[in-house]
Amino acid sequence: MHFWRKFSLAAAGLTMVVAGCGSSPSATPSSSSVHTITLNVLYMNQAGYTTQVLQKMGQEFAAKYRSDHVHVHFTFLPYPEMHNAIVTAAAAPTAQYDVVLSDLIWTAEFAQKGYTIPLNSDINRYISNPQGIPSAIWNGFTINGKIMAMPFLANFQNFYYNKKMLQQAGFSGPPKTMNQWLAQMVALKQKGIVQYPYEDSWKQAEGLTCDYVRTAGEFGAHLFNKQGQPIMNQGGALQALTFMHKLYQDGLVNPNSLTADEPTAADAFASGQAAFNTNWTFVTGIMNTPSESKIVGDGVVGTFPVQPGTNTATGTASVSGFQGLAIPANVPANMQTWAWKWIQFATSPQVQAQHLHSQWPVWSSVASSSQEQQLNPAYAVYEANLAGVYNRPKVANYLQVSAIIQQYVHEAIQGTIPVQTAANDMVQQITALGK
Amino acid sequence: MANPELSQPPRPSLMRRYFRRVSGENAWFVLLLIPAVVILLGVIVIPMLWTLKMSLANTSVSVVGGRGSVGGQFVGWRNYIFLLTDPQFWVALRETLYFWIVSIGIEVTLGIGMALLLNRPFRGFWLVRAVIFIPWAIPTVVNATLWGMIFNGNNYGALNDLLLRWHWIAAPVVWLNPSPLFARIPWLSHALSAIGSNLAINAIIVGDEWKTLPLVAFLVLAGLQMIPQDFYEAARIEGASAWTQFNKITLPLIGPVLSVVLILRTMQLLRAFTILFTLEGYGLPVLSIGAYQQAFSFGNFGIGSAEAFIIGVMALVIAYFYVRKLYREEMQ
Repeated sequence: MHFWRKFSLAAAGLTMVVAGCGSSPSATPSSSSVHTITLNVLYMNQAGYTTQVLQKMGQEFAAKYRSDHVHVHFTFLPYPEMHNAIVTAAAAPTAQYDVVLSDLIWTAEFAQKGYTIPLNSDINRYISNPQGIPSAIWNGFTINGKIMAMPFLANFQNFYYNKKMLQQAGFSGPPKTMNQWLAQMVALKQKGIVQYPYEDSWKQAEGLTCDYVRTAGEFGAHLFNKQGQPIMNQGGALQALTFMHKLYQDGLVNPNSLTADEPTAADAFASGQAAFNTNWTFVTGIMNTPSESKIVGDGVVGTFPVQPGTNTATGTASVSGFQGLAIPANVPANMQTWAWKWIQFATSPQVQAQHLHSQWPVWSSVASSSQEQQLNPAYAVYEANLAGVYNRPKVANYLQVSAIIQQYVHEAIQGTIPVQTAANDMVQQITALGK
Repeated sequence: MANPELSQPPRPSLMRRYFRRVSGENAWFVLLLIPAVVILLGVIVIPMLWTLKMSLANTSVSVVGGRGSVGGQFVGWRNYIFLLTDPQFWVALRETLYFWIVSIGIEVTLGIGMALLLNRPFRGFWLVRAVIFIPWAIPTVVNATLWGMIFNGNNYGALNDLLLRWHWIAAPVVWLNPSPLFARIPWLSHALSAIGSNLAINAIIVGDEWKTLPLVAFLVLAGLQMIPQDFYEAARIEGASAWTQFNKITLPLIGPVLSVVLILRTMQLLRAFTILFTLEGYGLPVLSIGAYQQAFSFGNFGIGSAEAFIIGVMALVIAYFYVRKLYREEMQ
């Protein structure tokens, strides 16, 4: 018995020693007994501002609050892992991240489940000119009057084309209508200028939903009506699905699009294997970088072709991919203050103006500045596409809805299910989710 | 007459009897066993019971009063009923079983074949053995990325480039798209689709087997090297053919090793995730990816746990039959 008592005491002692080795992730006393505040920020390493730009922003923030000994610690994850990381972190009693990058498609879910906190009071108090950010961007993060994230990345899709290839095919400019686009693709293929005129990101992932929303937009249609009911099996949404299938069937889109994500599609365009690419704003940088592109000077960004009689206000149709900065609900009150300070700093027009080469800014004043016009000659096209964005449905179970869309659109494109059947099944399954 | 109960010393408590039993020479045995038991409890038994509990509830993540937690109301078998009535679950089960059966088939046939070849002494056989084992040392994610490049659907994908140069194909093949096989022969295409066979899953099986086959071959080789050569000499004297020697000596004697390999690989294949998710994301539905998607993407931790538990039970049932067969053979 004496042995067991000793053993138990030793085990308890060891446990306490091991437990004592842990430390709070947010407030860490340094060796010089200075209380350092560590702000944990979750960001993606896939698109938007690069990790280097974020690190630089973090250093500038630390310098600004030097007397408070603030340190910004970043966790960079691929975009597909971001949602899971935020949800998993929400399960912890205390937050793992003080600030997270939140996609607009998660707004309704996070608001309904209370994973992140509304930022209305901070925005009303500290953002003097919220009208400086387009309402289309604010709308992406607002649900029932609650602003769930501060806009950070004004991401949206652009229409990219290779002007040299178009000239070789006898076209003086990009297509303005869907029929013109189709005719240009047919001509490019028939003349042997390029085997597959178009490449897109049609892998069964979120990018496919974005492309379907945008293509439906080009036909002047939404996927859901004003009552929130799915309408993919009629009108412009059905025309869009038929159009995508036709491109695949006629060999106008590279079949590899069915397994391609956005960077893969961008690489194909930049390497001169496609005349058209519809993609996020990051492609502009890639196509103009000699180390990454074989089409420097030939790649042009334009507005999207649209079905005549639709989108008359903007003359284009894009899809939004806005991302904002949000504060998880399990962040302790004292860290929420610092989290907001970081958000206010990183999203400020002054900081965004310093990194225009990396990302299109959310602030209209910065977007229309002479600096941006000098850096980006196509800024007017950007503004037009931003004004013409279509949003993906803002529903709490968005990821389930999107998974259904991805599955049936993917099958409809490659023809394993007839287009009309796929559209009907899609509508039926999405409707059943709501019951 | 004396009361027998009073005449006997009081019976020691269960705990006291236990400690008395282990206080002797068994003490070290028990002491050394404790870490293993604690680890098993901590990383297997308790998580399994926790998963079972989650699968029987409407489990989700919630943040109340600034504190995050995982919990939900008890719903009985509702999550299991939901899964069993969901057509997507059956599609995922079909894909999982196809992935398992085809992989196991390749491993048993090619694994034994490779082991038999490696079992013969030839010049430089140590080098060949070392080289063949390299794929097993490659991390699964790296292996998946590597095969992603080989199977890239553009003309610059390694396999497409090779086949185009040899004029075996006229246009690049999108190997990782789950498209039906033999689309020009409808009845065959439908039959293959019905059993879960498509281009992508077969391509992934190739990539997975490239990594795993060496391990299987080496385990079988270890079994082969334990068979006394006398058995073969005696069989040869008796005039047994090579096939008879293999069928009557080799196969029965590597049976125990093969059973262990089958158990190990069945467990791995039924819960295979990394290579499938790296190459296909949610595009190729198998049970493990379905469970992950339900839990972490859709937030339905109850349904995700139920799906994960079904995978575990399936693996256990299959392993049980392997083990029973193994012990039966050993008893004989």
